[in-house]
Amino acid sequence: MAQPALKDTRVEEFEKKQEWWWAAEKRRSGRLDYLRKAIWKKGAIGGLYAPGVKTDLEQAVLTTNMAKALEGSPDPYVVKSAKLFAHILDNKTIFITDHAQLVGYTGSLPNTMNWNPSIASILNSEVFNDPISIPEPVDKNQAVIQEIVDYWAGKTDLDKMMPVFDMDDLMKMLSGSIGWGVPLARGGYSNKDYEYIMTGKRGFQDIIDELDKKMDEIDDAVHEPTANKEIAMMYDRLNNWEAMRIALEAGIRIAKRYARLARIMAENFEEDPKRKEELLKIAAACEQVPAHPPRNLQESFQYDIFIQMMSRTEAIEGAWPCRPDYYHGPYYDKDVHIDKTLTKEEALDLVGEFLIRAAEVCQFKPKWAREGLQGIDGTWVWTMGGVDEKGKDACNDLTIAFMQAARLVRVANPTFAFRWHPQVKDEVMREVFECIRHGLGYPSIRNDPILVSNAMHWHGHPIEEARLWVHQACMSPNPTTKHGYQPMRMANATANCAKIIEYVFTSGFDPVVNMQVGAETPDVSTFKNFEAFFDAWVLQMRTIFSILVRSVNRARLLAPTMTPRPFLSGLSERCIESGQDTCDPSIARGNAWITAFTWVENADSLAAVKKLVFDEGKYSLAELKDALAKNWNGYEDMRLDFVKNAPKWGNDDDDVDRIMLRCLDACAKFSKELKCPCGNNWPILPENVSGNIHYANIVGALPNGRRLGDALYDGGISPGPGLDKKGPTAVLKSCGKIDHVTQGRAFLLNQRLSPTQLAGEKGFQLWKAYMRTWADLGLDHVQFNMVDDATLRSAQKDPEKYQEVIVRVAGYSAHFVDISRKTQDNIIQRTVQGLG
Amino acid sequence: MTTCQECKNFFPLEEDPNRGDCVQRVKDPRQAYYQAKPVNAEDDASACASFQKKQQ
Ligand code: SF4
Repeated sequence: MAQPALKDTRVEEFEKKQEWWWAAEKRRSGRLDYLRKAIWKKGAIGGLYAPGVKTDLEQAVLTTNMAKALEGSPDPYVVKSAKLFAHILDNKTIFITDHAQLVGYTGSLPNTMNWNPSIASILNSEVFNDPISIPEPVDKNQAVIQEIVDYWAGKTDLDKMMPVFDMDDLMKMLSGSIGWGVPLARGGYSNKDYEYIMTGKRGFQDIIDELDKKMDEIDDAVHEPTANKEIAMMYDRLNNWEAMRIALEAGIRIAKRYARLARIMAENFEEDPKRKEELLKIAAACEQVPAHPPRNLQESFQYDIFIQMMSRTEAIEGAWPCRPDYYHGPYYDKDVHIDKTLTKEEALDLVGEFLIRAAEVCQFKPKWAREGLQGIDGTWVWTMGGVDEKGKDACNDLTIAFMQAARLVRVANPTFAFRWHPQVKDEVMREVFECIRHGLGYPSIRNDPILVSNAMHWHGHPIEEARLWVHQACMSPNPTTKHGYQPMRMANATANCAKIIEYVFTSGFDPVVNMQVGAETPDVSTFKNFEAFFDAWVLQMRTIFSILVRSVNRARLLAPTMTPRPFLSGLSERCIESGQDTCDPSIARGNAWITAFTWVENADSLAAVKKLVFDEGKYSLAELKDALAKNWNGYEDMRLDFVKNAPKWGNDDDDVDRIMLRCLDACAKFSKELKCPCGNNWPILPENVSGNIHYANIVGALPNGRRLGDALYDGGISPGPGLDKKGPTAVLKSCGKIDHVTQGRAFLLNQRLSPTQLAGEKGFQLWKAYMRTWADLGLDHVQFNMVDDATLRSAQKDPEKYQEVIVRVAGYSAHFVDISRKTQDNIIQRTVQGLG
Repeated sequence: MTTCQECKNFFPLEEDPNRGDCVQRVKDPRQAYYQAKPVNAEDDASACASFQKKQQ
């Protein structure tokens, strides 16, 4: 099966024309071609799911029925949660796709989106109000949904949590003007204790045995002839362990259901002896994992897929923290090089399919999330490369296989982020470059030594743990270790930072949502100098960040009792050891961060105010306030002055770059005052996903010359599109003035490069030289778009012909035709940097 | 009453023949697959559009 779908002489022709998507289609095996085309695209287009993609009612009904059945049960809440989880796994429909070697999906059928109605009523209402996604017959199913929505009203995680939050904070946050997401332990980005579960030392059955031992010990201890606080608390531990055991046992059972289906297919339906053999291999794999540690690459991937699928049954996960080359690499080595049970081509088929299995994952998301993540379901940023815990190069043959498979299957999600460090071999860098040159928009490149130091600086991770980091979401490093992994990053600590500068002009009043959200700073026109103006900016920043962080802190504290996660806890050494929930802050080191959307607008706006108002006195603050309130209407000449004659970030211009550093210093200082319930810091992390488009109509006019409705900058520390006029080195130099260890958790940088210039060996050498400068300047991140304007414009005109063109949006990639026109234009507008 | 156990699609569990899987071949617009859903041998099949009499 690992034969090319079609030997086609046109491959070279396609490659010459840089039509990589057609070339890939011809180069990949028949199996990969079938499976790649079998994917139901789940990313929303313009906020709407594609026709044919349907909300999964089966799991919602199973959840609801079981919740009703458990209502009268005396079980503790955590045990009920585990039973609910087990009920879904035991009863959901499962399937095995033709040609597949890996199995497991979040929904019950390939075209369905998992819907867990127990998490948030606001999500449930969106399911009801999204008729396109309701399966046929719509009327009948709408009635089913109505019943589910009614049942869960007042009972979901968010419904239960809301009354115990600070209502004022919650209202400001939910207004949608300053934050993004909700503070829930079952909705966000879950890292996992991969060092515990993914190193081949144990499977679920081993953990269950350990739990049984623990429970027996405690059971004996609580019946000793004594009594104290510790004994009183042991009952909670017993309940948590019991819940973990229920969840893990259910995980083993569903795998056995897949094994059984594969055997039924092999023994009753399949006539092709080769496929029969494959099905029996699937059966053997599902009998082995997750109960026991994997024995080969297929089982290792299968184990991982099961874990991801189960974790997404328990919670809505918007990211996919992992390090597949590192954790699966030893199995690749064993199968391909030592045992020689797999050829490289066969292994590549498995790797490609592993990417495809992830690409099809979907959970129904609210509209604001779909708009912020255009074209994808969540940010599956897979970490590659890097070093091991001793600091040695961890790149392996599987790293290369992943790069090659990515070019064959060309999925937009997952994407890769490559941990570059000085020991990375040229051979690996070349593979990374090829992916970028083929227009995938990934891997993004991360500066490993910088980020290891950064993890130690901000969160105090010991160096051996800091080296084991993965991307918890698009950008933020988080170790996969016992005390280092963060079980849930709640997305609502995501600040719409352009509001900071906007609120300086409105004294914290938000004209879009019509409420006082920010600090009531004095009328802007009363500020006599830039220092007073900047002080107001700092106060607005502190106010916005605090509102968002307070609610996450509160949710994290409440999570172990109100929104427990027995399955995720069951995969965690610290939970197995302590009998506490994975979110319990008392057993975690903490790895919180504030994602800073729409960040650079602040530096450009402050620089414009400093120059044109305070230094040159061309305009008064009162005049500027009026111009902004009127969205620059009647002030066009003045607006153009602010666009053209104020310094802009990204041009190695100290006037604005110094302001950027000052803003970051203010944030870094405040980040150490803000504490998470683990007692750790809250650094900021400028990046955007597609928040720059989502917030276009929410952020008012700004002093950088932007009008309400205009797209915001594409994010992180990327200069405004088209405003970086001095070339790529100037961009790097501006960004290099930032201390990427101490001034924030990470900083996203988008760059567009010319595919023509970077063709061939010369192109690789040019790019390598660019990367050397990038590394020397100490930047922590960069990612590239390498699709030319002509292709993108053609794709706008004739989307059908360009379905497979991928672009880098922000912290993720998407198919160009799946993102909004505004985002498409925003990408085209970005300056194409010529190197050399 | 016709029940699932009389159906060709019903595959009983070895350890408990009263329970089993309803296994069906499906072709959707993008892919073909086999699906399995847990059912009981005694489940009412009279209204099931996919029922196929098992050959004795
Ligand atoms: S097709 Fe219908 S009758 Fe046959 S096993 Fe499935 S559910 Fe039962």
